[in-house]
Amino acid sequence: MKSAIFLLTAALSAQDANWTTYHGSYASTHHSSLTQITPANAKNLELKWTFQAQSLEKFEVTPLVVDGVMYITEAPNTVIALDPATGREFWIYEHKNPEVTYPCCGKINRGLAIHENTLFMGTLDGKLLAIDAITGQLRWEKVVVDFKEGYALTHAPLIIKDKVLMGTAGGELGIRGFLAAFDVKTGKEIWKFKTIPEPGEPGHETWKNDAWKHGGGPIWLTGSYDPVLNLTYWGVGNAGPDWNAKVRPGDNLYTSSVIALDADTGKLKWHFQFTPHDEWDWDAVQTPVLVDREWRGRPRKLLLWANRNGFFYLVDRATGEFLQGTPFVKLDWATGLDDKGRPMRVPGKIPTPQGTVIYPGVQGGTNWFAPSYSPKTDLFYLNVWDDYSSIYFAWDQEYEKGKWYAGGGIKAAVQSVRRDRLARRDPKTGYGAVRALNPSTGAKVWEYKMTDVSEGGIVTTAGNVLFSGNREGHFFALDATNGKLLWNLYLGGQTAASPMTYLVNGKQRVTIAVGHTLYTFGLRE
Amino acid sequence: MILRLTLALLCAAALAAQHSDTALKNPFQSPDDRVRGDTFFRSQCASCHGIDGKGGAGGPNLSTGNFRHASNDEGLFRVITKGVAGTSMPGFSMNGREIWQIVSFIRALSASRAVNVTGDAKAGREVFDANRCTNCHWLNGAGAPRGLDLSAIGHRLTPAEMMTALIDPSAEVAPEYWIWKATTKAGETLRGQRLNEDTFSLQILDNAGRLRSVAKADLREQSLEQRSPMPSFRDKLNGQQLNNLVAFLASLEGATK
Repeated sequence: MKSAIFLLTAALSAQDANWTTYHGSYASTHHSSLTQITPANAKNLELKWTFQAQSLEKFEVTPLVVDGVMYITEAPNTVIALDPATGREFWIYEHKNPEVTYPCCGKINRGLAIHENTLFMGTLDGKLLAIDAITGQLRWEKVVVDFKEGYALTHAPLIIKDKVLMGTAGGELGIRGFLAAFDVKTGKEIWKFKTIPEPGEPGHETWKNDAWKHGGGPIWLTGSYDPVLNLTYWGVGNAGPDWNAKVRPGDNLYTSSVIALDADTGKLKWHFQFTPHDEWDWDAVQTPVLVDREWRGRPRKLLLWANRNGFFYLVDRATGEFLQGTPFVKLDWATGLDDKGRPMRVPGKIPTPQGTVIYPGVQGGTNWFAPSYSPKTDLFYLNVWDDYSSIYFAWDQEYEKGKWYAGGGIKAAVQSVRRDRLARRDPKTGYGAVRALNPSTGAKVWEYKMTDVSEGGIVTTAGNVLFSGNREGHFFALDATNGKLLWNLYLGGQTAASPMTYLVNGKQRVTIAVGHTLYTFGLRE
Repeated sequence: MILRLTLALLCAAALAAQHSDTALKNPFQSPDDRVRGDTFFRSQCASCHGIDGKGGAGGPNLSTGNFRHASNDEGLFRVITKGVAGTSMPGFSMNGREIWQIVSFIRALSASRAVNVTGDAKAGREVFDANRCTNCHWLNGAGAPRGLDLSAIGHRLTPAEMMTALIDPSAEVAPEYWIWKATTKAGETLRGQRLNEDTFSLQILDNAGRLRSVAKADLREQSLEQRSPMPSFRDKLNGQQLNNLVAFLASLEGATK
């Protein structure tokens, strides 16, 4: 062990060499300042090593790399420390979940947070674990919530100062969501923000009856943090039941919203609801991208947000002021946004017992997989699902503890997750694309069109290279300035994760989870 | 308490039976059980599998009688209680009786659809053979793979749907059976069935019966015709022959059922 510790210490490198949070930085731009891989040499990328997961669950992790060690999770709740140069394991910590847990959509985990020498992971059985990063031993565990009521912890936690922030999934199981902060040393709860306000709390007036008791509002993707404003930003998921919205009249705050919380107290500074009275399951669970940039002649602290509902938003992240919203995919449920950013809805475009065709489909114009903003190109990049619809159904359903509570269903030619191994649907039923948007206008600058849709996130680099993977099984590099394909390798499995990049032994590497394997690439030497 | 104990034993028996040679039989198969199963299916399963069980955006079609992850009732019980790794299918924490009732309902979705069949199945077999249907279709381990596997078609289609498929085969055709045509940059004409596709290539079964992988970069043009390659038998067979053929098809219930 002494030699391992020595190696870890000796390998200390610049911050840019690491990838220390799920999103890579507090601003969640999924942009790296690394420059070794460029459009000119990307053709020389080659496989350096792989890590084979034993789990057959979906592999949604984005690794951390800190001072010469890579940390990953393997579904459902196994933590592994690896050598980022070779993929060899240092240690494995396996959390045992009960036989039955309640994740809506697969027994998955998206990753970890690290504070000094402690790793943090949420579990499917509602616990937050603190694990020693050197030894792989459990330091403490904290029961965050009673998982038997339909809760599951799936996102990577976020460290802010001496707190670790964790939210909970369960929007299809009648939960009431929350985000809570815990002391990194002890696990003691410091504050808790409930995404469904109770009677007497501001926002409760947007619930007209008892529906708030099972109103959803999950949090299942890591948020962002602005240290200057001391605000942390989190996307809140769908209202429950998902599709039978007549039982929950009102705007249903803070579902399908972004919330900006004081990081020390958890107090709500502001909120912006993208989809009031969400009837389509369009969780606002996308990456909050923080960018300081000029907008209409004024420097602004911006929040860039491509929402599942099909609109790309600019919000002033200091005040929550809506600045602009533009469609980035085909949508037919709203004619646009008013001057406050509220959708102007098209009558009849709601789920019905007979089914209603609505654009975008249930997975939205984009979803939880990471977009990226590059200060080098001043472009916002995302994976879109375009020309894509679902048939939305609604029916009555009573709430029962721990059971599915969606109040409807979905049919679509495009599968929500890749199920069939062969792809031969009607091409007119939708396509995927990596798309670059002008943040000022929301206008498309270029796109890299794919036959199938993608659940792959994006990372961009200061070398002007964009990396992403897709459902078809390809992992590829694009020129971030123009979308030209630089390099592509068929890996076979689907990507349902966001890539990251780091330096090890002075060499740039790019890592992505595809299928049941973690792949790491670098330049041929 | 007795009921709870009984249900617990049923669950335990179902799980223990995974390790035995004899598959456990569903103890809840009455009409009332199927009705209860329908209710549970509607609340817990229909969001992904469709309210008719024919599939949705999230879950596969359960009405065909063939299941990728289960070969019998016990297997269905196991899938519902444990979920399927790597998919969106979770394990459900319902009690044993409820799960068996869902299994009954799912089985009813694929029960033989041979209702109101007026033809003679034996005579239908002769029509089937005389028209060389296995030149394109697969039946119980023989034939050609171009068309739909008919081995268990009696579970998949109603007699009315079979009749429509025979006299108007292009009325409803799944995309995997559409006619794919292309011209390469070298001038070659390609025609066949699209088996798989991604951004860069297509995998096809061409009309000569060869498996081919085609790079899209090598194509000048390509198209999909949204119609079936199967000819209509409207004018080739008389009414009695069609009824007999439908009776034969309705009798095909497959070996894996």
